[in-house]
Amino acid sequence: MPIPSDERPIDRFVDRLPQTRVFKFLATWILVPFWAWRTPVKPLPGGPHPSFQRGDNVQCMMNLIMPLKDKSPVGRAVAALAIAQNKDAIYAGLNNVGTVHFARFVIVGDNICMFSVYDGDFTNYIRDFIATIGSVFNAVVSLVEGGDDVIPCEQNVEAFIQWVHERDLYQVPDTATDFLRDQEALNGDRAVSPVDDDLTLLPRKLVLQLRANANVSLGNGYRAYPGFSAAQVRERLGLGW
Amino acid sequence: MVDVSVAKRLVTAIIDNLPAPVPGKRPVHTIGIGVKGEFVASDVARTYCIAEHFNGQTIAASVRFSNGLGGPEQHDGWSDVRGMAVRFHLPDGTGSDLIATTLGEFFVRNVDDFFEFAKVAKLEPYRRQHWLRKIGDFLQLKVPPRNPYPNETQSVDAGALRYADRHRFSQLGIFQVGLIGAPESYARAPYHAVHTFWVTAPDGVRRPVRFSWQPVAGVRNIGVEEVPRDKYLFKEIEDRLKRWPARFMLMMTIGEEGDALDDPTKPWPGTRMRIAMGTLTLTEVPKDQEAAGEHISFNPCRLAPGIEVSNDPILEARREAYEVSREMRGGCPFRWRPDNANPK
Repeated sequence: MPIPSDERPIDRFVDRLPQTRVFKFLATWILVPFWAWRTPVKPLPGGPHPSFQRGDNVQCMMNLIMPLKDKSPVGRAVAALAIAQNKDAIYAGLNNVGTVHFARFVIVGDNICMFSVYDGDFTNYIRDFIATIGSVFNAVVSLVEGGDDVIPCEQNVEAFIQWVHERDLYQVPDTATDFLRDQEALNGDRAVSPVDDDLTLLPRKLVLQLRANANVSLGNGYRAYPGFSAAQVRERLGLGW
Repeated sequence: MVDVSVAKRLVTAIIDNLPAPVPGKRPVHTIGIGVKGEFVASDVARTYCIAEHFNGQTIAASVRFSNGLGGPEQHDGWSDVRGMAVRFHLPDGTGSDLIATTLGEFFVRNVDDFFEFAKVAKLEPYRRQHWLRKIGDFLQLKVPPRNPYPNETQSVDAGALRYADRHRFSQLGIFQVGLIGAPESYARAPYHAVHTFWVTAPDGVRRPVRFSWQPVAGVRNIGVEEVPRDKYLFKEIEDRLKRWPARFMLMMTIGEEGDALDDPTKPWPGTRMRIAMGTLTLTEVPKDQEAAGEHISFNPCRLAPGIEVSNDPILEARREAYEVSREMRGGCPFRWRPDNANPK
């Protein structure tokens, strides 16, 4: 026999509360700032997680977001032109780097972005990149906030690598609980014994991280042929590289 | 090897935590439906594994889809882990099983963990959280516990969460269980075999692998806002197969040195090499459901030569626990084939 529902109008109202404008306003302007003050969160660093395993070191993702100095349609057009004028040089440079699967430039809002998939170590990738097309990349970096500090990038290699790393998006892990581990690692938290976590705090931790780190990459990304480097793909397809 | 007495304790621990055990039936995944199908391996499968069902010929298969909950009541619309047990009927009359669920990772590493989990995650009365406490959760930017389903009075949710808070290895599995939802169809959910197996290639190379089934029809759950219906999955798969076959792709992920081989709580990264091993085509729901699913005693360690178990303690425990459970319900005994790669 069905058990009668104990749901009352107040329950229905409270269940819908998070979708109401009032609650969203309260959350945005009071609750999130309050918890960010009460439990400060550091922004998690960008780029792939360090790993010695081979599969983790091929087809790595870089999601570089660079805020433009000139946040107007003209500024965006200048950035688009800088890429268009240097397309041949960029493509030739990427060919010479040899470990890049895909790379593209995108303008999103007031940012010029470079999204790429590469093999091997991030530092080596950027070092090879600026060694081959550093002079061209200067034209792009000069349009970006904070870019003047690192150009000419071929003469400021280490500073430029750090500059790129700081603008590479944090890659939220594919598994929700690995996100907690990332935060613990950043904070230097060590597992106490016995462990006494509160998994119900995961939503708050995510909200506060996204407050500190507004742009993130969601997950590690899909790969149609995981585990293969650009060199292996070219070799198996007989591209004569 | 897990002692039979330990396996009995395992099964008893599960039965003791059921709302209403059903004699003669499976203690968990009690509600299920048998489906007939056939498996055809991909062209590359045989280069990775010498098992007979990967050599490219059409292999008859029996599949049992199930709801994870134990007991006689069917609650298709409740958020729950679903099962897909597959028996590949090999040409020589023997079988090879692949048991998978919609849970990507398990929540305990070994038998001791399981006993502790069973102590903590007991069935408890489950009620709607008071609205004032819900507001308290919202103010702390927490998600309050879900409302009980219609007619739901008991749950293990609170105990499982307490266990997860104390054991980090279990957090991923238990978190996934909380979000798993209810599929629109048994044919629209992905199923993962969670354990690591070793496969042998024709050149003798042995590789650690994990298997999963990907539905060709795509993954789709029913909306969380919908009032859950108790019975729709059996009719849905029956109607679906009358119109058109349903297909699953068998994907095999190859582990690397450093990946967790003996721990089903740890996922492998998505960057591991992934091989499409073949396609399972489901054709009909047989009338004789006893023969099609209920009387088949699946066992995750019933494996064709060319596939071996890893040292995963949970996989090892399941070998005997499934046998104990089978004996309790009077199912067909587990017959090890003499040339099985894993006789123990």
